Amino acid sequence: MDQLKDLADQAQKAFAKCQTVAELDHAKAQFIGKSGVITDAMKQLSQLPNNEKPKMGALINEIKQNIESLLNSRKDQINLEVMEEQLKSDKIDVTLPGLKQAQGSLHPISLTLNRIEKIFASVGFGVAQGPEIEDDYHNFTALNIPESHPARAMHDTFYIGELVLRTHTSPVQVRYMKEHQPPIKIISPGRVYRVDSDATHSPMFHQVEGLWVDDKVSFANLKGVVQNFLQRFFEDDALTIRFRPSFFPFTEPSAEIDMSWNGGWLEIGGCGMVHPEVLSQASIDPDKFQGFAFGLGVERLTMLKFGINDLRPFFMNDLRFLRQFAR
Amino acid sequence: MQVSKTWLQTFFNQSLDQIDIENILTMAGLEVDEVKSFDNLSDLVVVAEVVSVEKHPDADRLNVCQVNAGQSEHLQIVCGAPNVRAGLKVPCALVGAKLADFEIKKAKLRGVDSHGMLCSAKEIGLSQEADGLLELNQDTMVGTTIKQALSLDDTVYTLSLTPNRADCLSILGVAREVASLSKIPMKTQNPPAVTSKGKCEQKIEITDQASCPRYCGRQIRGVNNNQKLPDFIIQSLERSGIGLISPIVDITNYVLMELGQPLHAFDQHKLQGQIQVRRANKKEKITLLNEQEVELSDKDLVIADEKGPIALAGIMGGLDSAIDESTTDVFLESAFFNPEVIAGRARSFGLSTDSSHRFERGVDYANTAHALDRATELIIEYCGGVASELIDFQSDLPTRDTITLNASKVSKVLGLSLDEKIIENAIKSLQMTYKQTKPGMFEVTPPSYRFDLKIEADLIEEVIRLYGYDNIESILPEQKAEMLEVPDRQIDINETKNKMANLGYTEVVTYSFIDKDLEQQFHENKNLIELDNPIASQMNVMRSKLWASHLEVLNYNINRGQSQIRIFEIAPTYHKQNNTIFEQTMVSGLAYGSSMPEQWKSKNEKNNFFNIKGDIEIISSNLLAYEMPSKGVPGALHPGQTALITLNGEAVGWLGHLHPQWQQKYDLTEPTFIFEFRLDALQNRSLNDIELPSKLIPVRRDIAVIVDQGVPVQDMIRAVNGAKIGRLIEFVPFDVYQGQGIDKNKKSIAFLILMQDTYKTLEDSDVTKIVDQVLEILQSKFSATLR
Repeated sequence: MDQLKDLADQAQKAFAKCQTVAELDHAKAQFIGKSGVITDAMKQLSQLPNNEKPKMGALINEIKQNIESLLNSRKDQINLEVMEEQLKSDKIDVTLPGLKQAQGSLHPISLTLNRIEKIFASVGFGVAQGPEIEDDYHNFTALNIPESHPARAMHDTFYIGELVLRTHTSPVQVRYMKEHQPPIKIISPGRVYRVDSDATHSPMFHQVEGLWVDDKVSFANLKGVVQNFLQRFFEDDALTIRFRPSFFPFTEPSAEIDMSWNGGWLEIGGCGMVHPEVLSQASIDPDKFQGFAFGLGVERLTMLKFGINDLRPFFMNDLRFLRQFAR
Repeated sequence: MQVSKTWLQTFFNQSLDQIDIENILTMAGLEVDEVKSFDNLSDLVVVAEVVSVEKHPDADRLNVCQVNAGQSEHLQIVCGAPNVRAGLKVPCALVGAKLADFEIKKAKLRGVDSHGMLCSAKEIGLSQEADGLLELNQDTMVGTTIKQALSLDDTVYTLSLTPNRADCLSILGVAREVASLSKIPMKTQNPPAVTSKGKCEQKIEITDQASCPRYCGRQIRGVNNNQKLPDFIIQSLERSGIGLISPIVDITNYVLMELGQPLHAFDQHKLQGQIQVRRANKKEKITLLNEQEVELSDKDLVIADEKGPIALAGIMGGLDSAIDESTTDVFLESAFFNPEVIAGRARSFGLSTDSSHRFERGVDYANTAHALDRATELIIEYCGGVASELIDFQSDLPTRDTITLNASKVSKVLGLSLDEKIIENAIKSLQMTYKQTKPGMFEVTPPSYRFDLKIEADLIEEVIRLYGYDNIESILPEQKAEMLEVPDRQIDINETKNKMANLGYTEVVTYSFIDKDLEQQFHENKNLIELDNPIASQMNVMRSKLWASHLEVLNYNINRGQSQIRIFEIAPTYHKQNNTIFEQTMVSGLAYGSSMPEQWKSKNEKNNFFNIKGDIEIISSNLLAYEMPSKGVPGALHPGQTALITLNGEAVGWLGHLHPQWQQKYDLTEPTFIFEFRLDALQNRSLNDIELPSKLIPVRRDIAVIVDQGVPVQDMIRAVNGAKIGRLIEFVPFDVYQGQGIDKNKKSIAFLILMQDTYKTLEDSDVTKIVDQVLEILQSKFSATLR
């Protein structure tokens, strides 16, 4: 009996010596294994007188449970130590950079165009496209710029025989209006071309044209729409614009758009009410409908947005420049 | 158009100093590009008289001058100007004077003391060029500041005028505009005082009256074309940016600038018989004043005498009839030519003159005789001579039609409720004749000098211009809240761009035109679209592919130390077929160097065909197919490493390794892959039916088969998938092997076969049956053997 009572102490000591789960399993066999002390004691139970059996049985069970509990707690402890050891050795330098493909980027012109399209889409402007190699009619005549008109000298045009590289995105207006009756609400972004190349001019550049024709879209609405667009584009609700009288053969009245910038005014585009003649050319009744058109320089907007003061990097395609636009 | 404020002031009694001319003009649509003021010239630059000139003892080109600059003693100044001589009055910068970029100091020039500098026009900022000292009039007072002597307290406004405002191409026109805008009234203009004597003996015939609705002329006999003109004319011309030629020409130019009417003076003695205003005969020639000989056509209007053309009407006079210093009698012409006849003609000869610039935009036809009188008055006053009567031929002059202006329309277009009074004031201050027919309705007739006012919209612009564009409010329109269509089948182009960027490609924007040779050789284009007027010879044709442009970008970036280069662009390409030009937007790009950027655990593997194909597969959502091309591989590509990209069997693009020849030509040391496919091939994605996944686990079997090397794996996959074997859900190659253990002309391909039933777990026998079916297909169609 006393021998049995010591067992728990013995087991505890034996388990404490064990450093691994395998050693522990070995030590466990001594006590509660198939030929362990406890198992032996259980076997001998049958030889006891009947009245002692329950008491002795309960005692053995108690001791067995005690030993099992000692075993489990030691096992947990060993596992914990092993885990801690492993965690220590698993440690990595998480500050090393992640492994990845290089991040490409969209061209700043694309970023600007996306932004423009998104802002205008929010009030229901769709996007319309047209050809870049245009005929004289759509680029000039239908826009109220007849042959030999001095206004043609304002456009340094590339010619391909009878055809031209469009000098502005306005021909898309004409093409769109010929196929749709009001209400018309589109923007048309794209490449345009002028025979001009220096620090501030590129022979190819981008414009976005806007057109809204309905029954009572007014000059004041034009100013509202352009101003609101610029406020959203530059994320500046305090931004204001002013209109300055100007001349485009396809709008009347016409205006240059100046935007408040760094305490002064900056020219940002041209606009006006669609000329009645242009509406008529497109079979839209100018007595019933009126509307506005505007044109904005995409490079200009991009330069202002990103604080770039040179046009040329946009077409040099130096990856060191372009990759900065990754986002 | 340069406008001198001093000159402008002559049209007003009240001082213009009370208004901000620059702002007023700009805000009225006459944009002021530049404001130049002369009055910053130092007061230490004064009028001086050269008293004596002696050769410098040690320098051939220098003179030592004694100069009277109004001080108690004469100044000794060393001067190198060729025109220095005793008695001359010139500008003298005294010691301490600050000129544009330097200050005058006492100096020793080759050992001789110099106390100041005698100046040219350039040195005191009056002109861009100068040869020698500026010679001042003898009556200028020694010692007065040059600023005072040359009335330099002036401001010159450079206007950038739009083509519709021809009426502002004169000081008179700008003055009218200033008066309308500022409410400062103009002075009454006195008619020129001309006493004419005798008939005009020059016979004139206007043959083409439609082109020349008004022609005025007169003879002035006995002029002296060597007189010095007064300072006000010379300064006015200088400040208008017009060079001096000879007194009479200078006077005609002065009137041109003052009144906007181009004039021409012929030497009467060089004219032969009657003059005619007619269309040129074919191939007729004339040598113009600038000594350019031009060949004419019947599109050109000429003034001709009995020998032939003596002037290109409205553009430039002829050299043979030009006046010179010996001219004594002139025939002076002032005409109105039809803008449509003159438009574009000067440009066709590469010319742009002050005259053509005005005539093609429209010159005031009511002012023709007045301007001629004005020039006559000045010629007689400063060059002498006797004027004949003025002859005036008039036929069908333009008319100014009455335009109805409806106040409610004004408000509707502008989105601004304007009082009738404001509208009336605007048309009144613009000197338009009008009457009010009923409340809110005006019948308006524009003045003869306004060629740009034809319809109601034109008048609406005038009203708001006068009222002030600044008074337009920003008002967002009210609209029906109809939403935009969002077609789900259409791939947003930005989605494609962002996918490319996430695969490491950087978007570039390259010019649409490239070098003709490159287009022919690299893009193999035979139907070139050539620009008539390219900006540079290496940008002379429209490109049919983006590849050559992208190779340029590649080179540019390799030269700047980049090693992994992936670029793309979505842009139109231009094609000509059967003389029809069309455009096709392509997604195009290039990958060069390693497949991943250099990084700390990178294996630095080179790109291979399948990396890039994988990229394309990702951006194209598996809609496109890739075929072994049977023929027609572009010469730019490696014939054995190029896939034809198709959509529903139609060829839409190419993907391949750059041809080794081009690799060499471009000195590319690493593999380069290029691709292009039509954007519209991406614009319609397939929306698959979505199936719920089975609860059962699929069964996998792997097989390896040996086939001829030339058998495309894609054909095998298609054959198996096409057989629609029940419960087969995936058939995918996972290894391709050639080499030891496999015949030289063969390859081994390992496939995984994934099988599943919706309702029951597959038995072994089911699985075997499916695998056998697969093998059967591969054996019968591709002579495959199980490895």
